[in-house]
Amino acid sequence: MSTPLSQALATLRRRYGDAVIQSGDTLSRTGSVWPTGLPTLDFRLTAGGLPLGRLSLLAASPPPGASGRLTLLQALSAAASRERTAVYLDLAGSLDPGFLADLGADLEALLVVRPPSGRWGEGLSMARSLVVAGAPWLAVALPPVAPGRDPGWEHRLTGLVEAVSARQAVCLVAAAAPVPPALGYAASLTLGCEAAGWQEAHGDVVGLRTRLTVLASKVGAPGEAATLLLRYPRPFATAHVVGWPAVVDLTAVVERAPSQIAAAAG
Amino acid sequence: MTPPPRVLCARYPHLALVAAWANHPELRHEPVVVGGAAELRLPVLAASAAAQAAGVRPGQPLREAQQRCPAAAFVAADEVAAARLRGALLDRLCRLAPIVEVGDEAAYCDLSGRHAAHPEESGWAVAVARSITGLLDDDGVAVGVASSRLVAGIAAGRAGSRRIRRIAPGEEAVFLAPLPLVSLAVDAGIAARLAALGLDCVGAVANLSSADLQRQFGPAGKDLWHRARGEDGVGEWPPVPRSGGPEGASPLMAGGAMGPPRRLGERLLLEGGVGDLEALRFAVHRCALELGERLRRQGRRAAVITLVCEFDQAQAEELRIAPLQPPGSGAELWPVALELLAGLRLPTPVTAVRLEIEGLQGQVGRQVDLWRRGDAAGEEISGAASRLRARFGSAAVRRAALAVDPGDLPERRFRWADPGAEAGAGGDAPARGTALRGRRQPAVPVMPALRR
Repeated sequence: MSTPLSQALATLRRRYGDAVIQSGDTLSRTGSVWPTGLPTLDFRLTAGGLPLGRLSLLAASPPPGASGRLTLLQALSAAASRERTAVYLDLAGSLDPGFLADLGADLEALLVVRPPSGRWGEGLSMARSLVVAGAPWLAVALPPVAPGRDPGWEHRLTGLVEAVSARQAVCLVAAAAPVPPALGYAASLTLGCEAAGWQEAHGDVVGLRTRLTVLASKVGAPGEAATLLLRYPRPFATAHVVGWPAVVDLTAVVERAPSQIAAAAG
Repeated sequence: MTPPPRVLCARYPHLALVAAWANHPELRHEPVVVGGAAELRLPVLAASAAAQAAGVRPGQPLREAQQRCPAAAFVAADEVAAARLRGALLDRLCRLAPIVEVGDEAAYCDLSGRHAAHPEESGWAVAVARSITGLLDDDGVAVGVASSRLVAGIAAGRAGSRRIRRIAPGEEAVFLAPLPLVSLAVDAGIAARLAALGLDCVGAVANLSSADLQRQFGPAGKDLWHRARGEDGVGEWPPVPRSGGPEGASPLMAGGAMGPPRRLGERLLLEGGVGDLEALRFAVHRCALELGERLRRQGRRAAVITLVCEFDQAQAEELRIAPLQPPGSGAELWPVALELLAGLRLPTPVTAVRLEIEGLQGQVGRQVDLWRRGDAAGEEISGAASRLRARFGSAAVRRAALAVDPGDLPERRFRWADPGAEAGAGGDAPARGTALRGRRQPAVPVMPALRR
């Protein structure tokens, strides 16, 4: 027996094709995401990891203060470089390869892109060229200032999103507040980054607690939140050597007993 | 300094015929046809001079050969013995020349530079000729030496048995001028059209302009113009060195002399000058595809690509690049050429575009890292990075590497490296991924075939 809903679905499929309507479980199937290796990020905030072929956004909370978005971006880039070729578009100009090495990055597999003019559009266009060539992982660090007099950067962003979708690449963008509307519109997953406090040990700052919130998602339900400890690595020794992961999952600890944070962080 | 190219061509009886003589010495001075029994429906593989004088030609049916020369002895081809002879000949010639090509009826050797034991070219050629004669035990070896493979072959054909015909550098056109067009193996249709205009010798065709011939006969006309001037077809010589040494260098070459440069080029004339960028893009695209097809056929890659735009009233503009990933096909060459075109300044309409590739090297495969996703696309990513560096500067795309001896300052912990540094650039090639803008540099050695 046909219902109005089934008739409407049949009409839409007939007019626009079978791919226009899919059930939700097909979007989160294995293989369409890149697992970050952080259980909280993979299973609580996202459906298995960062989505392939889509743009994910790390949006900082409004200033002042740090949010941890760039540290998280670099930690994930370091993890990605250990298993695939990664591209880091450094529009913010803040990348320190030594810090990346401390995070355990394979610098041989990491291409750093810095447009000479520093313009967003030029950088996005360069990143698009590399994605079209087959780069499977792209990190974009945007500066805290707005693009300003760079007309057309939204158009380049559209080209980048199309390339990421066509090559099924992972694209993770870290942007400061306020997030440009075009960027928010293009992102399929927006994770809000908000500092939850410094992590100290023996009077020294050893990390930053960051609260991640799913602000918007086209691949899952928004609203989930979790706290991560972005542990600053010890200089001149990679995270592997030290034996500590760069990012510590604090959600379970926080839910049980806040006093255990220090113990978990060492 | 790269010596001028010199090529030796030695013509000798077909190796199958030599093998037949070795098996049947009594037939040495008799008419012999190699190919099998006369009753077989097979073609003639080779024929002795006496049989050829009777009208027998290779490729004829054996029955026809028997009709033309009933007294000839018909023997089967001993392919094993012929292959053994070919191998022995190759082995001997490789001791005398750095680059050798051995065929069934002719062999080519690279005589560029200077041999340690034979400082004079004539002595070197005599040594090669004696080596061949001693192996084949035959007096019918004729040798020609010239600056190109084509002229050397023609000179050998006109030298006669046990003779060496040397054509001095620069004398090729004079040598070829009185010869009939058939000497150049010209297409019969083209030869007939030229003959109707009274152009029946090589010199008459050589005096025509390249543009006229290209306009009338297309690529075949351009090729004919070059051949009439004694220039080899692009890419015909030298072959890829078997030893894999740099630029065909041989320990036999005294003073570190090198073989002739490997360079291919494609030039397209534009009627009346073209200022439209889209039309130029089309022309460069065509050149890139043709060059890429040659590269693909030869199984080689180009380390350096140069795009030259010629003008009527101004000096030619040139831009050169050494891409991270040397292109080996038209599809790979075209993006590089497009980047070069985008970087050129075009003050006036362009009358001709020329795309040149040099530093040709064999295709080298690479084992893909199966555990690293995206590693199979590494070449494409390197190529894209190279193009970005050429367009936006060397600092646009880089790879960091940890310093061996880091200091206390954070910025000394690492150094920036070229993403394709491990690929390595050899010889005089510019740094990988860097574009060199400038006027034509005459210091760069150019093959005669490219002086168009």
